[in-house]
Amino acid sequence: MSAIPSTTRTWCLYAGGLLVTLLPLAVLSGDLFWVNILIYTYLFAGLAVAWNIIGGFGGQFSLGHGVFFAVGAYMTARLYLGWEISPWLGMIPGALLCATIGPLVFWPTFRLKGSFFAIATLAFNEVGLVMANYLHTVTGGPRGLQIPFKAGLGNMIFADQCIWALIMFGFMALCVAITIVLMRSRLGYYLLAVREDEEAAHAAGIDVTRVKLRDTALSAALASIGGSLFAMYIRTIDPPTLFSLADIGVKFALIALIGGIGTIIGPVLGAFLIIPAESYLRAVMGGGLPGLHLVVMGGVMLLAALFMRRGVAGALDALWRRRSRSAS
Amino acid sequence: METLLNVLVVGILLGGIYGLVSIGLNLIFGVIRIVNFAQGELVMLGMYGAFLAYSMLGLDPYVSTLIVMPAMFLFGVIVQRVAIQPLQAESSMQIFATFGLLTVLQNVVLVFTRGEGYSVATKVASFSIAIGEIRITGTHLIILIAVTAISVLLHLFLQRTLMGKSIRAVTQDRQAARLMGINVERTFMVTFDIGSALAGLAGALIAPIYTLSPGIGDNFILAAFAVVVLGGLGSVAGAWAGGMIVGIVEAFAGYYIDPELKQAIWFLIFLLVLVIRPTGLSGQVGAEEVGFREQS
Amino acid sequence: MAAALEKRLMTEPFFSVRNVVKRFAGLVAVDNVSFDVSRGEIVSIIGPNGAGKTTLFNLLTGQLAPNSGEVRLNGALINNLPPDQRAKLGLGRTFQIAKPLIALTVIENTMMGAFLRYPGLRASEKRALAILEQVGLADRANVRASELTLSERRRLEVSRALALEPQLLLLDKVMAGLNPSEVTESIALFRRLHDTGLTILLIEHNLKVVRAFSERVIVLDHGAKIAEGDATTILSTPAVVTAYVGTRKRA
Repeated sequence: MSAIPSTTRTWCLYAGGLLVTLLPLAVLSGDLFWVNILIYTYLFAGLAVAWNIIGGFGGQFSLGHGVFFAVGAYMTARLYLGWEISPWLGMIPGALLCATIGPLVFWPTFRLKGSFFAIATLAFNEVGLVMANYLHTVTGGPRGLQIPFKAGLGNMIFADQCIWALIMFGFMALCVAITIVLMRSRLGYYLLAVREDEEAAHAAGIDVTRVKLRDTALSAALASIGGSLFAMYIRTIDPPTLFSLADIGVKFALIALIGGIGTIIGPVLGAFLIIPAESYLRAVMGGGLPGLHLVVMGGVMLLAALFMRRGVAGALDALWRRRSRSAS
Repeated sequence: METLLNVLVVGILLGGIYGLVSIGLNLIFGVIRIVNFAQGELVMLGMYGAFLAYSMLGLDPYVSTLIVMPAMFLFGVIVQRVAIQPLQAESSMQIFATFGLLTVLQNVVLVFTRGEGYSVATKVASFSIAIGEIRITGTHLIILIAVTAISVLLHLFLQRTLMGKSIRAVTQDRQAARLMGINVERTFMVTFDIGSALAGLAGALIAPIYTLSPGIGDNFILAAFAVVVLGGLGSVAGAWAGGMIVGIVEAFAGYYIDPELKQAIWFLIFLLVLVIRPTGLSGQVGAEEVGFREQS
Repeated sequence: MAAALEKRLMTEPFFSVRNVVKRFAGLVAVDNVSFDVSRGEIVSIIGPNGAGKTTLFNLLTGQLAPNSGEVRLNGALINNLPPDQRAKLGLGRTFQIAKPLIALTVIENTMMGAFLRYPGLRASEKRALAILEQVGLADRANVRASELTLSERRRLEVSRALALEPQLLLLDKVMAGLNPSEVTESIALFRRLHDTGLTILLIEHNLKVVRAFSERVIVLDHGAKIAEGDATTILSTPAVVTAYVGTRKRA
């Protein structure tokens, strides 16, 4: 048995897996409530996959990815509102900017150990929030930016929600594909080596800092694209939404945790568990007692941290190993 | 000159609040390195505890500390056993667990209060003294006295008592402390519980100057981390000074730069200190274990 | 040109350490140490605990930078290069406390080193497998490194270093904690590697190992080099016996 499964088979497996996630859309395409939930599920699956590149595979526990998400959202919305630049193009400068500021900001903090890195990136998120409120001309300040409804492919505004679902699916598929390509290359292995033991990685000829910076850039750029799509989908963005820890910054990490940090399918699984459950609970409980659904979500997070540290993917993996061991 | 003095007084008062809400975290994060994102919620619970004692028993918030502190100590015992102890060595899981706890606590309170804002009254509020143009109310004055007194007492506790000494030993070198016969696990537990009780105390003491809301802890948490890191992780005097620094920086930045940027300034100072000197400004805990990766 | 190059290769030692000093807060850990290693040699560095062996080793691997002095490999000045650059120039090392990447398999651990010369996944895997066969870990290739025994972990260290295709292999107390038969096996392994032309520099506590296969011994005490020569002579020099064996008896 080889350590590396054959390429074609892997790709078919992942492609098949991704296509399965389209099934609920096919079934529920007439139900706007569920289509909306699916749109968020695909989007957050993609975002969690993007976070997982540096947060999971790279072991750099970022709570500051909300900043990249927000930069993408503001950049795209601003370029569209101010200069009528199509969001399809407007996504690119945001992604490039994040690929630059991500490594620049994280670079000094890379010397910090786990929890200190997390706190520093949390502070980074809060600086982002303050600046977004302050820079009125760019962000519209606390009132935010509103994008008028003018349907059209070039405007990335659609009357048919199913198109949005497909776009978000595409984003998720893009993030998954990039992760697979990365993790099946030398650079992906280097990322794992850096997470496992920096000294050993150094001794094995790996430029540890460069590996971290490069993958931070990649992860930040993808988070930015997610932010751009989010902005064009909800068409109204403001600082409390974009920099919310519970709904954005920490949520990427939470989804990855529930699904399985540092696995390729984990964040996708996590998104398919968390987002529909949360949206459903919010709809069912939110009317009666505001906050009740968040009590449940917080409890799930606590329990996952205590009892399911390797997530669903980890639990499945353990089950699989046990079965294959008893079979042989 | 007059303005300068006024801004300074505002900063010191603010610094007292920041210092007070950080005392518990200084033990929990500064000493035993638990990344407790729910610390602000412990303060919030202390505030609501004072409110309950006030509305149900008619107690003055300062009297209610006699109930709130033991109650929060017990709450700390439960939280520590259930959520913290199993994750002692896993900082990223602590982040998740305590963030989950934060979400639960905030929203349980939201469910019970249905979003209504409460306030707590005290006779002390009517008393005030004037410094320049600034009137300092009794409530603010008590906070300033309390943060100083608690710091002194905590310092004496850490220096003089056996428990305090074992806490300090555990801070400096876990392994050596264990070899010297200190029950490290028990020390961790007690430290967390005291940290929780002190957060509750802080909550009760600041309750009269805030309108209570479930999310109020969010205002304190990053400030508390900043205070603890600036002060030098576990240093009691450092945390007192750290609180003052954050308060004064915020007041001056708010007045002389831009009110909207007042927090961004100390966030940046905090980030800078984290990156350059994670052992903090007074940083006597010299071990590289503190913030940097081990050097060799 | 060719003549000049040849002349340089003739005159310059393969690996040279010149007047290296390392101070920690006033304490001199490595005090003006100089020595050379020729291509194909096996050299041991010995000394009592606290003699500065580990610090010296870290100066050679790039874990630490010296306060002054020079370290050269093939004439190139390397004393300020980080470990990864030194690895590229042909310096492989092991860690005293083995550092397996425990979430990864044995072959993946070895591939981390092999990527340096074989960037492709397949090529690197092929190379890693060959090395695992060489060190006797091939049958454990797909096991997670976390499941290895101590002696297997040590061999994994060696295979990851060998995968870099180093010209000089630095071994940090690579026999510590092994039982006598494992030590014998390891010595045999390093002899085989040496026969392929590999130069080896090791820090060693075990005098049996030092006697068994080092051609030259360097003795450190209080950070300074106090003796150098062939193993048999050195190990019977009175100064070495007092510094090294004497301290050891007391300890």
